[in-house]
Amino acid sequence: MDATLSGRQAGTGLIAARKPTGRVSDPVFVGILWTSGIVVLLLLGLIIAMLFEGGLPAIQEFGLSFIWSTTWNPVTEVFGAGVMVFGTVFSAVIAVIIALPLSFGIAFFLTEIAPGPLRRPIGVAIQLLAAIPSIIYGMWGFFVIVPLMAAYVQPPLIEWLGPLPLIGALFQGPPLGAGMLTAGLIMAIMILPFITAMFVEVLESVPPMIKESAYGVGATTYEVYRNVSVPYGRTAMVGAVMLGLGRALGETMAVTFVIGNATRMSASLFAPGATIASTIANEFPEASTGSLKLQSLLELGFILFVISFIVLALSRLLVRSRLKG
Amino acid sequence: MNFAPETSIDIASAVNRATAPSAEAKLKVEKLNFFYGDNHALKNINFEIPEKRVTAMIGPSGCGKSTLLRIFNRMYQLYPGQRAEGKILFDGADLLSKDLDSTVVRSRIGMVFQKPTPFPMSIYDNIAFGVRLHERLSKAQMDERVEWCLRKAAIWEETKDRLHTSALGMSGGQQQRLCIARTIAVRPEVILLDEPTSALDPISTSKIEDLIDELKQEFTIVIVTHNMQQAARCADITSFFYLGELIEVAASNEIFTNPREARTRDYITGRFG
Amino acid sequence: MASLARRRATDYTVKAISVGFAALSLVLLAWILWTLVARGLPALGPHVFTKITAPPGAGGGLLNAIVGSLIQIGVALIIGTPIGLMCGTFLAENGRGTQVGNAVRFVNDVLLSAPSILIGLFVYQILVVPFGGFSGWAGAIALAIIIIPVVVRTTEDMLNLVPIGLREAAFALGAPQWKVVTFITWRAGRAGIVTGILLAIARAAGETAPLLFTSLGNNGWSLSLDAPMASLPIAIYQYAASPFEDWVALAWAGALIITVGVLTLNILSRLVLAKMK
Repeated sequence: MDATLSGRQAGTGLIAARKPTGRVSDPVFVGILWTSGIVVLLLLGLIIAMLFEGGLPAIQEFGLSFIWSTTWNPVTEVFGAGVMVFGTVFSAVIAVIIALPLSFGIAFFLTEIAPGPLRRPIGVAIQLLAAIPSIIYGMWGFFVIVPLMAAYVQPPLIEWLGPLPLIGALFQGPPLGAGMLTAGLIMAIMILPFITAMFVEVLESVPPMIKESAYGVGATTYEVYRNVSVPYGRTAMVGAVMLGLGRALGETMAVTFVIGNATRMSASLFAPGATIASTIANEFPEASTGSLKLQSLLELGFILFVISFIVLALSRLLVRSRLKG
Repeated sequence: MNFAPETSIDIASAVNRATAPSAEAKLKVEKLNFFYGDNHALKNINFEIPEKRVTAMIGPSGCGKSTLLRIFNRMYQLYPGQRAEGKILFDGADLLSKDLDSTVVRSRIGMVFQKPTPFPMSIYDNIAFGVRLHERLSKAQMDERVEWCLRKAAIWEETKDRLHTSALGMSGGQQQRLCIARTIAVRPEVILLDEPTSALDPISTSKIEDLIDELKQEFTIVIVTHNMQQAARCADITSFFYLGELIEVAASNEIFTNPREARTRDYITGRFG
Repeated sequence: MASLARRRATDYTVKAISVGFAALSLVLLAWILWTLVARGLPALGPHVFTKITAPPGAGGGLLNAIVGSLIQIGVALIIGTPIGLMCGTFLAENGRGTQVGNAVRFVNDVLLSAPSILIGLFVYQILVVPFGGFSGWAGAIALAIIIIPVVVRTTEDMLNLVPIGLREAAFALGAPQWKVVTFITWRAGRAGIVTGILLAIARAAGETAPLLFTSLGNNGWSLSLDAPMASLPIAIYQYAASPFEDWVALAWAGALIITVGVLTLNILSRLVLAKMK
């Protein structure tokens, strides 16, 4: 026993001399943690349930053909999601097709070419593209890109490619500026940082030994990238692309500004169209509570949620499986 | 000797004879089995840790010595799927019993880890954190306690002018002694040391070893080490574990000069491990 | 088998294209920022911050929209941060390796990228319809649902960076779990947690779609959370699409304000994080 310590109890060999420190507080704390986890878990289910319930009358009215019917007529009160589902998928696929090569190139640049001190600042600058709010992309697209497309990009494309057989259909129609291609282009810029960041993360997880052994047999930087690094991270990279696709599918404000908002189906890249999200944003203010139109819009929301959920879930499975293993 | 068992197993009495007359068992392990899920990590361990002595546990990696150490203060209970069967008597109370609160066990049986683990706060608060869990002290009493334990851990002179600066700014050796001070401050009876010097340089190591020698005046110490010289230098008793079994336990000078078991000899002479 | 010269040429070409792509992305960023500055700065003046929205030609500002945004983000933070922090802590501390933990993590990842307009629809269904009208509350709760997954994700990631040994050391002193988490784990990860909150604010500040059918927008001065409430993104949306020049100019001014705010928060959060690592 140490005599210099005044507070020290004498003769406590007994374990009972101490009181437990968390008998009540710990179960409470752990309860709060679990509750928060469950709240988040239920949130998703609740969102799906509410959208499903809200849109149910539309499905009852129009049947399952609501999903593919291409009629959207507020005057006659006949609604179908076909045009919007098509527009949603079409514009998102355009965005991915444009963003993918860019992301491959930028990820190659950031992981293999950029000198060390430049990597971080350039990487951060590209990530800032993801931070800019959607509505800003919408304004920029509407005021800057749409006029440029109408004046300089679309007319020559229509003139040169329009008459071609098969693919010509993609390049026909008046050069309005706004339309599927412009929407896809803007969304490509928006999803580019997400895809690139995940590509970089995957590529940086490639064990240096594997790359070095490829360099050891005389491969060039690009050959190592193409034949070693990318195959190594392929699964996760597909997941990254799916994430980009998922984001593009649900993009609202930017698209609303530049897609032209026409509920007609057209194969042309230049034709104005509509996505599920842009239709909800545009037509919601004109739909009164309890109307068939509102219910149809909610059903559109439900369809969008299901599509997004499948794509995002798939993306996550692919990304996590690779990064973990 | 009033708590001493009437009949102790042969090994323990051998230890008692070999060390000192007053060494009674502080911890008494009886038929202990331990499982990581389906993996049977400790097999029927019977073992006594004498009071106010240094007991070393040695053996190759994965032999179960750290596992046993982490059972003594119920660290294993933090991880679902880890399970202990048997008894560990601590002053007559079973440490594995559900009636005993883990926080109480841990306040009585402190632990110092392989890597220094200073909390991201000042040196003073590092110590006060543990003390405040179990006691209400006035500012003056707390100051006194901080000084007391820092002196005990032989680090007072180095820290007295910077008590309120971050503990993260100290050297590795200083951080480890702070962690020992932090453990002492709670006033445990047993201190568990899990390879406390494996992350330190030789000078810091020898300071910690000197400290261990000091501390056994007041505390019962159990040390897991990979370093056999360290066990020989610091420990009164050394136990050798292999593949989840306790192979041999004896006074350190005995086990290192004249081991009874062939496996102990092979390990000590460096034939495996 | 391609010749060496050809392989070198391919390598060189791909590298050049990659540098070009990286440069292009920087040009795009600069272009967007330049557009905002060129159109927003001339429209920026004291009136933007001192006057509320007004009919075209009446010389209004954005004061009510800015204040409305701040209120809704503030309330969203008060609701969303604790839930996000606790849920992130749950995933890092109690949910590791458990079925429930994996399910929560999965759901959170989906919510993180779910279309934000659907969050708006959801809140419309559960709050606006039953309680009879658009309100600041509905907007704030929609933003809270945007905030939660961001905070959950960063909190979990950051707490996972805190060494297990630090937690064990605190437990070894006899600390109960709530003290280990609040005094040690949160403290060690606090820079990361702050980063998450900053990023969440940035995300919420720019969101337009979830507010369309919740707080709706309000052209008058109102601080009541029970009434429709103005917000900067909604005001921008309304003004940018209008045919009036002064409204469009105000939209650009608002766009500049939002973007500067959001990018500042982003850069700030990265600095905090860099300091932590």
